[in-house]
Amino acid sequence: MTDYRVAGRGRVDHGKPVKFTFDGKTVTGRAGDTVASALLANGQHLMGRGFKYHRPRGVVTAGSEEPNALVGITRGNGRFEPNTRATMQEIYSGLTAESQNKWPSLAFDVGAINDRLYMMFSAGFYYKTFMWPRSFWDSVYEPFIRKAAGLGKAPTEVDPDQYASRFLHCDVLVVGSGPSGLAAALTAGRAGADVVIVDEHSEMGGTLLSEPQAVIDGLPAWEWLAGAVAELDAMSNVRRMTRTTAIGYYHQNMIGMVERITDHLAMLPENAPRERMWRVRAGEVVLAQGAIERPLVFHGNDTPGVMLSGAAQTFLNRFGVLVGKRPAVLTSHDSAWHSAFDMAEAGAKVAAIIDTRDVVDAALHDRAASLGIEVLTGHTATATRGRLRITSVRVNPVRSGTVGAGRWIDCDALLACGGWTPSLHLFSHTKGSLHWDAEAQVYLPGRKSEAVQIAGAGRGLWGIGAALDDGATAGAAALRSLGKSASAPSYKVSGDRIGTGVFHKELPTDRSPGRAKAFVDFQNDVTAKDLRLAVREGMKSIEHVKRYTTNGMATDQGKLSNMNGLTIAADALGKEAPQVGLTTFRPPYTPTTFGAFCGYHKGAQFEVTRKTPIDGWAETHGAVFEPVALWRRAWYFPKSGEDMHKAVARECKATRQSLGIFDASTLGKIEVSGPDAVEFMNRMYTNPWTKLGVGRCRYGLLLGEDGFIRDDGVIGRMREDLFHVTTTTGGAARVLNMMEDYLQTEWPDLKVWLTSTTEEWATIALNGPNARKLLAPFVEGADISAEAMPHMSVVECTVAGFPSRLFRISFTGELGFEINVPARHGRALWEKLWEAGRQYDICPYGTETMHVLRAEKGFIIVGQDTDGTITPQDAGLDWAIGKAKPDFVGKRSLARPDLVAPNRKQLVGLLTEDPKTVLIEGAQIVDDPNQPKPMKMIGHVTSSYWSEALGRSVAMAVIEGGHGRMNGTIHVPQAEGKPIRATVTTTQFYDPKGERLLVE
Amino acid sequence: MNAHVSSLGDAALSLLPPVARFNLRIAPADLAAAAKAFGVDLPTRIGQGVHQGARSAWCLGPDEWLLHAPEAEQAAIVAAFDAIRPSAAHSLTVISDREVTYGLSGARATELLTTGCPIDLRRIAVGDAKRTVFDSAQVVLLRDGSQDWRLEVWRSFAPHVEALLTTAQHELAAGF
Amino acid sequence: MLLIHCPYCEDTLPELEFAYAGEAHIVRPQDPSALSDEEWRDFLFIRTNVKGVHAERWRHVNGCGRFFNALRDTVSDRFVTTYKAGEARPEPETLEAAE
Ligand SMILES: [Zn+2]
Repeated sequence: MTDYRVAGRGRVDHGKPVKFTFDGKTVTGRAGDTVASALLANGQHLMGRGFKYHRPRGVVTAGSEEPNALVGITRGNGRFEPNTRATMQEIYSGLTAESQNKWPSLAFDVGAINDRLYMMFSAGFYYKTFMWPRSFWDSVYEPFIRKAAGLGKAPTEVDPDQYASRFLHCDVLVVGSGPSGLAAALTAGRAGADVVIVDEHSEMGGTLLSEPQAVIDGLPAWEWLAGAVAELDAMSNVRRMTRTTAIGYYHQNMIGMVERITDHLAMLPENAPRERMWRVRAGEVVLAQGAIERPLVFHGNDTPGVMLSGAAQTFLNRFGVLVGKRPAVLTSHDSAWHSAFDMAEAGAKVAAIIDTRDVVDAALHDRAASLGIEVLTGHTATATRGRLRITSVRVNPVRSGTVGAGRWIDCDALLACGGWTPSLHLFSHTKGSLHWDAEAQVYLPGRKSEAVQIAGAGRGLWGIGAALDDGATAGAAALRSLGKSASAPSYKVSGDRIGTGVFHKELPTDRSPGRAKAFVDFQNDVTAKDLRLAVREGMKSIEHVKRYTTNGMATDQGKLSNMNGLTIAADALGKEAPQVGLTTFRPPYTPTTFGAFCGYHKGAQFEVTRKTPIDGWAETHGAVFEPVALWRRAWYFPKSGEDMHKAVARECKATRQSLGIFDASTLGKIEVSGPDAVEFMNRMYTNPWTKLGVGRCRYGLLLGEDGFIRDDGVIGRMREDLFHVTTTTGGAARVLNMMEDYLQTEWPDLKVWLTSTTEEWATIALNGPNARKLLAPFVEGADISAEAMPHMSVVECTVAGFPSRLFRISFTGELGFEINVPARHGRALWEKLWEAGRQYDICPYGTETMHVLRAEKGFIIVGQDTDGTITPQDAGLDWAIGKAKPDFVGKRSLARPDLVAPNRKQLVGLLTEDPKTVLIEGAQIVDDPNQPKPMKMIGHVTSSYWSEALGRSVAMAVIEGGHGRMNGTIHVPQAEGKPIRATVTTTQFYDPKGERLLVE
Repeated sequence: MNAHVSSLGDAALSLLPPVARFNLRIAPADLAAAAKAFGVDLPTRIGQGVHQGARSAWCLGPDEWLLHAPEAEQAAIVAAFDAIRPSAAHSLTVISDREVTYGLSGARATELLTTGCPIDLRRIAVGDAKRTVFDSAQVVLLRDGSQDWRLEVWRSFAPHVEALLTTAQHELAAGF
Repeated sequence: MLLIHCPYCEDTLPELEFAYAGEAHIVRPQDPSALSDEEWRDFLFIRTNVKGVHAERWRHVNGCGRFFNALRDTVSDRFVTTYKAGEARPEPETLEAAE
């Protein structure tokens, strides 16, 4: 490889070589290089292949807008990231980079055959090519699309990295650290404001890094820059963040920023997150994001070696790399002339400056002449030669719109410049309006919808001096908006490069435009011809043209292509650009990792996992857990060799025969307290509460105002003015919210207050004929005998010395108690009961056994046997309605025509003809299994279990007119095999008379 | 003694011993009676804390106060409020076990909280409190000093919050 | 993420502390049994779904716990004002005067 490094030039450390690999080959760069600058220093422009046509592609830019030079970075232990911009990835010793979209190699690619099959990929190809025949989908189209779709390879291993997140509040956030951003931060910082300044690059300076020739207030640009950075760092009220991209601008000055912390480090420090998402709330935002250079559109403009002139200038001045030794310059803007001059002075032989304009500033002509550079004004470019790197460019004079004869100019790089587009992506996120400046032919910020200032090139200003002054003004304006004062200094700048230019649609050509491969969107391989075809085929708005051609829809979001696409589409439509519209920029500004969005939410912290005080005991005793709402609950406790079925059958049997112990701590608990507590309960729940005595419990049913069942639970009256309400596990927060809603907004006159005590209490349920025998010796301060403490009562006492609210209730049909103790004592009580319970072969059981035991009794689970369309009547719970009450939530709805209509789906029991068959929950039910498909479905199975106690299966279902179908037969069709026959029954399968509760 | 969770670099995290903790709900008009029962002048601005002797009260809502007292005084406080119930309707609920309390201290304690708290912590005065969120858990932050905080969180959410704080603490200690 | 002013806390705080709670100023009838089926249907289900300034309820669920009302522009997603539950919807004139 030839060396293109310029000794002593740039900000890289020439004394520190850094070795890395690109496609397996070792490449030597310098500390401070990016992958792109290091490859260019070694003479390599070819860095990737196009997405559709697999055409060889070289690096085009020096920044995050890069469309072509995308690489995969591997770091071992599963660390792999595709589509990393080679222009942003800093090199480190041992970095492994690989090019993309190539097979078998970057230089020789089989897929490039697509290049010959242009018609298959032209505008709208997604919509046209794959339409028919239908049979081609599976065999031809889908495999083809799958192969073609996607950019780069997805990682295949789990990402081992940690990601972090942080909230930050500041007075002023400055996005971008070029001259305008620095001036804004200095102005605001000096005035004492809390300032944050961010830049996506590894160091601050922006344009200043690429234009060291400027002199600011008497100091060379880089000296001034060092001073500015040092001053910012010395201010305790300023936070300076590099390698940090402001990815999105959200409501009320919330800016999302991603800080890349370790991607540039050779060694990964322990406990270092790879990236951190910052959520910044700023009083004022200063957007100083500069401008992005626009490519020129002509045949062959994607040949490696054709790049933006500003990028060449950056590679030379910041990285000390000549992108070519014989570059040609093709431009419509003055700025590219300076790139040519810089390269000439650094030792390159500039082949020519080709300017599309007829008239260019005389000073530029003079400088070119003094450097011996040939200048061709009023010229166009019509072709390039060279496959893996440009070897020559064909240029033609344009006179009065007529393209003259072409001539080939040899070159090893072509620096193209089609003017500059103000970078207003973040401003667009705010829905601030953009207005079309007809004279400058650019969109500029218009009406603002946030507390934001735009400074520098983003406002269409040109030159370092103007940017500095504008930044200072923006910084002062931001402070004024915050009610503070600051003075904006003015800067004296010499050596500034103030220029002008014009914009073009495709460059004029003497060849058939129909054969031109003049690329507009490099990343999605969209040509000017595609855009014109889209317009011919009827697309009139830029939004349609965009979707039809995919222009601007790649991961660079059209940073280089949107304006060229708009100009060409407008021309094809015969309209001015603003009449065709502008596509919307959306966050994120640059591709962002999933990790950055996830932050700490991975592995065990993926989401909150709530655990009860007894969870640890269950874990050490081999419980299998299931998630219930945010909780994890013990599902069943398998003994060795047991599957779930066997374990549950054993747990059920043990509980019904002797004694089971169950962790019910997740049940929602609400303290309803105050003089109007009973009135409140009467209004909220369907049941009557007035006559419930202190120390007694009642099953409570809660409806929505629409009359459908929302929640249920046992409620105990602790005092005249105090109820202990329990809710379902998943309903706890919802029920409390609903109660607060009614209390605060409908009945604020009621003197009653609600407090969640879900987590104050650990709740242990003892069920089985021996429950009282186990419990009684532990109880002090209460008589729990059958006479003194009947079913559905509650008492305050101590259990094993712990203060307790002890309920006698049963969700299993067996003699049952629920012991509530302060949460910290839950585990200790459990262990005492467990120890003492051995004499009764006490059996811990989980949620599955709880479900089976309650189903045998026909107790519903809200959310399983109900689905938000079930009324109390549907569920057979009419008895829970206080019919004498004038009103309660949902009462009026129970009389609505639809809710009293015949043939509603009603909850019933099902017994399968074959007792061994256990229906699948959710299975659909039909009357006649022989009817033609699609069959009329009359309901579905809601609960279904093997009942060990009954030695057969039991199920519950909701079926149209179910209560009138007792002893009738229904059928449950199966995916395979015969429909299953079942008989409709009541839901009380086991001990329907409730005699098992009556244990003495 | 505080249960040590971890002390790293500039931010230490500890699980604090239990206190007698109450949720008091009462109409502002009846506040004087409650103040008398608790023995502390109850604050009236949401967020405000008042600390008298070993007892503290913070106003969390228009009719809601968080009360702290030494554990041994729990029964006496319940009895004192029982005594005023006939004349001043209210709800006093013991929530000593509902929450657990973490202590955060050290030069970067406040920064540690910014890993999960979306609010501007600078605006909470020393001695005051704020019910808010840390990550996806509701918490109450009590500010005891510029870099001294207590974080109260419902017991079942504590492992999640503790794991996040510990991860972030390691991150700070590593210099990131 | 929006900032929302809680009229009870008298503080402007992140949206993460709040929960949306449907349209405002829909009062539960004193005597639902006196309503016709159509009137009750309208109370239950009919909402305005405005494009523009919408009166809606929010709850400061991770703060003071109070339900309150807000006027929010559904086009810009911007809060015009917030006010306590039970208070009348502010008139447009008073809003302009406040600005
Ligand atoms: Zn509030």
